[in-house]
Amino acid sequence: MRVPLSWLHDHVRPDCSVEQLAETLTLGGLVVDAIRRPTAGVRGVVVSRVERVDRVPGSDKLSLVEVFDGRERHEIVCGASNFSAGDLVPAALPGATLPGPDPASPVEIGRKRLLGVVSDGMLASARELGVGDDHRGIWVLGDAPLGADLAEWLDLDDPVLDLDINPDRGYALSILGVARDVAALTGAPLRLPDAEPLPPVDTGVAVSVQDLRHCPRFSVTRVDGVTVGPSPAWLQRRLAAAGMRPISNVVDATNHAMLETGHPAHAYDLTRLAGPRIEVRHARDAERVVTLDGEERVLAATDLVIADAEGAVGLAGVMGGARTEVDERTRDVLVEVAAFEPAAVLRTARRLRLFTEASTRFEKTVPAQTVAFGAGRCAALVARLAGGRVAAATDAWPAPEQRQVIRLRPDRVRRHLGMELPDERQASLLGSIDCAVAAQPDGTLAVTPPDYRPDLRIEVDLDEEIARLHGYDKVPERVPSSGRVGGRRAEHRARRRVREALAGGGWSEIVAFPFVGPADLDALGLAADDPRRRAVALVNPLSREESLLRTTMLPGLLHALRRNVNRQATDLALFEVGAVYLRPTADEPGADGGPPWESQPPTLPAEPLMLAVAACGHFVPPRHDEAGRAVDVYDLLGAVDLARRAVGLAPLEAVATAEAPYHPGRAARLRLDGADVGVVGELHPRVVSLLDLPVRTLAGEVRLDRLTAGGVRLAAAVEPSPLPPLRFDVAVVVDADVPAAAVEAAVRAGAGTRVSACDLFDVYTGPSIGAGRKSLAYRLRLDDPQRALTEADQREAIEGVHRAVAEAVGGALRR
Amino acid sequence: MTTTPGTADLPDLDALRERGARAYAGASTLDELDDVKAELVGRRGALTAVQRLLGSLDPALRREVGARVNAVRAALAGAEAQRRAALEAERDRVVLAAEALDVTLPPRTPRRGSLHPITETMEAMVDVLAGLGFTAVTGPEVETDWFNFQAMNIPHDHPARGMHDTIYVESLVDADPPGSILLRTHTSPMQTRTMLVQPPPVYIAVPGRVFRQETADATHLPVFHQMESLAVDAGLSFADLRGTLAELCRGLFGPDARIRMRPDHYPFTEPSADVDAWVPAVGDWVELLGSGMVHPNVLRMAGYDPEQVSGFAFGMGVERVAMLRHGIDDLRLFADNDVRFLSAL
Repeated sequence: MRVPLSWLHDHVRPDCSVEQLAETLTLGGLVVDAIRRPTAGVRGVVVSRVERVDRVPGSDKLSLVEVFDGRERHEIVCGASNFSAGDLVPAALPGATLPGPDPASPVEIGRKRLLGVVSDGMLASARELGVGDDHRGIWVLGDAPLGADLAEWLDLDDPVLDLDINPDRGYALSILGVARDVAALTGAPLRLPDAEPLPPVDTGVAVSVQDLRHCPRFSVTRVDGVTVGPSPAWLQRRLAAAGMRPISNVVDATNHAMLETGHPAHAYDLTRLAGPRIEVRHARDAERVVTLDGEERVLAATDLVIADAEGAVGLAGVMGGARTEVDERTRDVLVEVAAFEPAAVLRTARRLRLFTEASTRFEKTVPAQTVAFGAGRCAALVARLAGGRVAAATDAWPAPEQRQVIRLRPDRVRRHLGMELPDERQASLLGSIDCAVAAQPDGTLAVTPPDYRPDLRIEVDLDEEIARLHGYDKVPERVPSSGRVGGRRAEHRARRRVREALAGGGWSEIVAFPFVGPADLDALGLAADDPRRRAVALVNPLSREESLLRTTMLPGLLHALRRNVNRQATDLALFEVGAVYLRPTADEPGADGGPPWESQPPTLPAEPLMLAVAACGHFVPPRHDEAGRAVDVYDLLGAVDLARRAVGLAPLEAVATAEAPYHPGRAARLRLDGADVGVVGELHPRVVSLLDLPVRTLAGEVRLDRLTAGGVRLAAAVEPSPLPPLRFDVAVVVDADVPAAAVEAAVRAGAGTRVSACDLFDVYTGPSIGAGRKSLAYRLRLDDPQRALTEADQREAIEGVHRAVAEAVGGALRR
Repeated sequence: MTTTPGTADLPDLDALRERGARAYAGASTLDELDDVKAELVGRRGALTAVQRLLGSLDPALRREVGARVNAVRAALAGAEAQRRAALEAERDRVVLAAEALDVTLPPRTPRRGSLHPITETMEAMVDVLAGLGFTAVTGPEVETDWFNFQAMNIPHDHPARGMHDTIYVESLVDADPPGSILLRTHTSPMQTRTMLVQPPPVYIAVPGRVFRQETADATHLPVFHQMESLAVDAGLSFADLRGTLAELCRGLFGPDARIRMRPDHYPFTEPSADVDAWVPAVGDWVELLGSGMVHPNVLRMAGYDPEQVSGFAFGMGVERVAMLRHGIDDLRLFADNDVRFLSAL
């Protein structure tokens, strides 16, 4: 909503600067986005009379115009020809300025020579003056005083407040609504225009409203004998400042009335209205109407239309139709002012993507109670500007709704707002916006909101008005005492520790959009029946390439990796914590879809939380004194190990796996207490190449929800033995394909319960142990807090290892 | 024939001491020092020879000469120690100087990782709210229309739906009508989810991801994050909301930050307030969050009695707070995941 200050001043004139006014309005709930002066650049433009129009010799288009500015005559070259001798026009004489494209730097006009003729400045169009966008010719000023400074006469320095109006404050989409708030917030006196009574004569137009719910009130007013022509300059200037295009006196009058009262109004050419009758009804299927903007609209049954005997003549509350448009031949007009239900208008506006000044107001509720006021103001202005006579009116309002009285408990208001506001203060604040307030014997206040505030319906609505008018800045600061300890839940704490451990271990956290497309899943080489293919689809995705909710974190993570690689990063280790979205199963249902009392709530996907990692290049970057080391699968296993250690879990069990999208010999599936938690590994070379990733890129994802389900587990302390340990090495020779984990398990089991450390320090393959064999060497440490260990204990342990590896993994000790 | 040597046969001990002390002082290396020591007190050393003679002296003379020999031995030991210390210090100086390292070479640290500013900012918000007695909870990102809109006092056809450009999700079972599930447009559904399963009092903070059907630009992202908070208890007021927000603001932007409230409109709160923060680092008021007293319809929807309890709620954009905290002016950086950006924070 654009509010020219001069227009606001017609109704309220607060004693403050425009900047202070903007601040007051903003803090009062009508946010002023900007204060603009769209026409402030106009200087030295004089209302001048055209005396003579001659051709410029040698030109078809240019004329030499002699104008009189009240004191002297000037000759000005002009390309337009929409005026004749006697017309008053704006003459920008040498030294004058016009706003130009940037209002901050006006354009200066000079004396120019064109085709051998000297032009003493220029004649200006409305657009050149910043008044509207009409550039078809010179702005012909109807009733201007000859010789007047145009800027002074039209108040072109007038600041315009640009207001951003919330959906509940539809009343502020009008000058009067804003003026009422200005008066209430500043205490300045309010001057409301008088209501224009409508004649008690019926229009003779049969009005039939078929959907009272969507159109509770519909009024038409007949203005006979108008002469359609341009509006006076002041009105054109005012409408332009308010953001509307001046069209003709009749249309401009309806727009002026709408801006003033907030009631959208529409003028029909009465003679073009078939019947004449008007129906307010739902559109017939595939019914068509050409709207005022020249577009043919195909209607749907949900659209509410205004129709005459021949069919639709307009979209209710959105836009009128071309067939009944007012033009120069129009003599009698019918002015419509009505109340449409917000949802009905919004539905049509949205469906057709046709948001107009009218629909914007209706979607924020236009009260039915004030329709007659709006109609009266509008009809009177049409008659005044276009020279007609308000002849008759029809007002269809079969079920007038009276405003409900709201019972306000001042005590509750004080408690709810936490402010000391005496009853009288509450009453006077509500009175300042025209609520009728009556104290009741039981201590409550009976509050009847004014007709212009349909948003005030229940008691808490008045809380906001009281707080706002008193001043939100006067609300004291108090901190509630919850009476309980807040904080993070166990799994949230665990999640946070995991993220911090990963970051501490050299991994960079990313946050990706959780969408994937079929192409992403193809690139991973997932089989047709892979469960990750059963992704949940979006109905209206951001793009076709990202039409699914992710079932795997890898596409987003790998996309981020590649983007960094494209930007010349070489050594990357990324991780992400986030949900995947899986079709629910009995084991893993989604969240509840509705309240307990709903029998069949919608089904939601399960959203298990994942930890995903991806890396390429060096994990240890080379330095001047070290070669560096490329990332490998053990770094990814290490990342998962950091995570499980952060939450106090025992080491996960790793098992070799051959599955998409991984290298068949370089991936591990991980288990926690027998339950699967995920996979990490080197990506399959084909996936690497399809996704255009660096060679040997690695990735993986694990179920963080399963790792953190128990929160952070506390480890039991181990008391260090005071006695010296036994330390010795064993080397085990096994077949090359025996997993190291199985060998270690056998070594530990064989060495007995005293084992306190068992570290693999060498893996050897070579001729000395035979082809297809490998040797794993472990450094063992045995501790016994009860007694000093002897060589006999060591022999016994080694024998134990010997037996255990032979039995469990077919291995032999290398002696 | 053996004779008992007399003092005249003994070497001049004073001269020996003088000579020895000079020799020690003149040693220029530790090896030379050791040679001198051997000459004086080694197995064949001059002083050792004197000592060997002592046994053949008569007791009175032995005592006298023994005392003198000991004195010379002590003096020589002192001279040796002094010279040895000097020579060792010199050796150390040379050797350690040769071992010097350039300590301005880069330090050796484990590989550098980082936390994303969005998750870190959410944790910072939870830190403040946890201190005020709020518990952090999270909810599903795919929501039902009922929780996302209806329970928040936004029925079908409500104009506020126009401001929530919703991304809808296909129905998972045939029985669910189209449009019944969607990507949550705000974290507010957790208000109702929590109230449905828990009697008052409720003090929750809900960090999480939300979605809007929007094109990404410097000030919009289709996927972003919010921190929702809800308190419902007997006697909570607008003043409690203001105090909580002021604390939160100071916790996020420093002790000199302060807030300003303006009336605004949300279907699920009444009164509603937009909150501007004075952020010292910015030096201006910036729009921070939307808030208000929980609408009685929302309380009723969750089975609470608005006559018994009242509450406040607020929701803030995490990206916005992160931008203000780190001086970021383009939202897209958060979704870009450039490690140069991430590791600088």
